[in-house]
Amino acid sequence: MTDNRPVYLNLIKIRLPLAGIVSFAHRISGVLLFLFLPFSVYLLDLSVQSAESFASVEQLLNQPLMLAVQILVLWSITHHFFAGIRFLLIDAEIGVEKSQARFGAWLVFIAEAIAMLLIIIGVCS
Amino acid sequence: MSLYVLEGLRPWVIQRVSAVYIVLFIIFATYSYFTADTIAYEAWKGWLYNPFNTTVTGIFVIAVLFHAWIGMRDVVLDYVHNIMLRIFIFGVFVGVLIGSGLWVFRILLLSVVA
Repeated sequence: MTDNRPVYLNLIKIRLPLAGIVSFAHRISGVLLFLFLPFSVYLLDLSVQSAESFASVEQLLNQPLMLAVQILVLWSITHHFFAGIRFLLIDAEIGVEKSQARFGAWLVFIAEAIAMLLIIIGVCS
Repeated sequence: MSLYVLEGLRPWVIQRVSAVYIVLFIIFATYSYFTADTIAYEAWKGWLYNPFNTTVTGIFVIAVLFHAWIGMRDVVLDYVHNIMLRIFIFGVFVGVLIGSGLWVFRILLLSVVA
């Protein structure tokens, strides 16, 4: 094997199909959830220690920066949740065929958008 | 089926079994949140330290730790090719996961001790 084969990996020019975007986003959201894990445990600890520390968690989460972080966590969970269910179904040989796989990818994005909207409305009201 | 095949299949199975449990727990937790009368300190503590909820949350944490370990391991195997760097990152991840796990179990068991 010679090493001077033409390698063309211009990331901007690679157009991922929708199923590829779901897959890549599944990975990104998984890594984000891992990174948020220790901080989530810290908040859990604070939330049960005392009424005062519970209030400090509420205060902390209401800061503008933390609201943005929570949106990111919410997206990570909902995307990982629905894309994960899609992968489980594909393992069970449901939705493997190309057009179905594409439809499933659409469903993941629609479901996560609706779920995020409902949860944000539910939490705020 | 040789043992070698089982070695590769086991993480695959753990990843999917934990995924199913996590899905069920998230549905249960979301339902609990939206059907709760109030989101306040006493009510939240009451929910978490209800024996059933403590148990299913504990199992959820174990499922998440295994799920996160296999997922992060796969990511590292795909992108990090230097063996020493790999081992180092694996060590950090295992430390973070076991540390987080022990911390949650300390929180969950406080009610039993107290």
